[in-house]
Amino acid sequence: MNKQKSMWSLRLSTAALVLIPVAIGINYIGKTIASALKLPLWIDSLGTILASMLAGPIVGGLAGIINNIIYGFTQDPISTVYAITSLFIGIVVGALSYTGWLKSFGKACILGLIVGLVAAIVSTPLNIIFWGGQTGNVWGDALLAVMLKEGYPVWLASFFDSVVVDIPDKFVSVLICYFIFKGLPNNVKNLYRGGQKIEEL
Amino acid sequence: MKMTLYVAKNSIVHKSDPITKLTYCLVAAIVPYIIPNHLFAFVIMLLSISLLLLGKVFRKMIPIYILSLFLLITIVIIQGIFHPDNVTPLFMLGPITFYQEGLLIASLLIIRIINMLSAFGVVILTTQPDDLIEALVKKGMSPRIGYVIGSVLQIIPQMSSMVGTIMDAQRSRGLETEGKLSTRIKAFIPLIGPVIMNSLIATRERSIALEIRGFNSKRKKTFLRDEKEFLFGKPYQLLLILCFIGAIIWRIFQ
Repeated sequence: MNKQKSMWSLRLSTAALVLIPVAIGINYIGKTIASALKLPLWIDSLGTILASMLAGPIVGGLAGIINNIIYGFTQDPISTVYAITSLFIGIVVGALSYTGWLKSFGKACILGLIVGLVAAIVSTPLNIIFWGGQTGNVWGDALLAVMLKEGYPVWLASFFDSVVVDIPDKFVSVLICYFIFKGLPNNVKNLYRGGQKIEEL
Repeated sequence: MKMTLYVAKNSIVHKSDPITKLTYCLVAAIVPYIIPNHLFAFVIMLLSISLLLLGKVFRKMIPIYILSLFLLITIVIIQGIFHPDNVTPLFMLGPITFYQEGLLIASLLIIRIINMLSAFGVVILTTQPDDLIEALVKKGMSPRIGYVIGSVLQIIPQMSSMVGTIMDAQRSRGLETEGKLSTRIKAFIPLIGPVIMNSLIATRERSIALEIRGFNSKRKKTFLRDEKEFLFGKPYQLLLILCFIGAIIWRIFQ
């Protein structure tokens, strides 16, 4: 039983599974508090990121994809489109934080930038297919308009539109989660990492 | 905070099989993207809207459209003015010229989006989430995932009320939540921190409670509620899937 369970294992412990609805709830309240405080960012993936840090890429990815599908079928159909983006955010954060990217503040900053870049790369084709390149963010879309006017191709303009929106948002979100993660007591952190016998419930 | 927009009405759409509605929603939302034709997309959009009217829920759909209004307006502006293929000016609005090519593209995108919203609306407004989850589990979706989805719908209202409590508590301790951007940013962690801690600690109890009740049992699960009778079952689902395959074949040989 000393063998470390791979982070890609599909056999999820009950605690890891119960973490998914909580992650989706945290996504929701993060977004609510950010808009109540009138912050200029979405901050709508805190839960996905935190779940990935705690329980790895599979739980993180599942939390991401289920999050967007549930919102799509209960509140806002548009969010379903970005289920793929959330899936990738969960997988990337989970895989990297399990391989030591949460060891220091500097590494966490780089992780934030990577996640933002991945989100922008995955969102760009979706934005082009579904809405012709927009993101729905005023600043990003203004940049898109300027770049199109200057004669840049749609995919590049749309990519920069996403970058402007996603990188600050995911960077801040990853850092918030990093500080919360560092502040969590070890018995909570160990709850979701299957592997050592003592953690199995 | 209510997690569902479901409207209880007595209509043929409400009585239809949730899986059929889900299949319709996905097929109707995707097919106009496979077949890039204005008229075709428009017909599908009308079909989705008439299903909403038939379900007597069209009025409830309007807030969902309004949520996407900003996106629709920016599509007209970006495509109409800035699309790279723009050559033929159509009309002027003050100093700004709108072009025919861009507006044509914008109109197709808008028809597709309104269609997608309406198709989702058919599921959102006429199907109880519990019925849909149960139907999916009966279809073979893992009951564990069914539990996850079901508990999201319960947990979000609980957590939002927790946010209200914590916001009041922190404000009464003198936390400023209004004013300069830096003040508001500083308020974020003290507000969200306790909610996250509380809910993470609660997962431990919840998972123990679930395991005691045989959550991981390998036995076949049974259902608490009696099976409801729904209209338009399997054959209609099959028909919709055939339409979808037909659209893909059409596109390949186009």
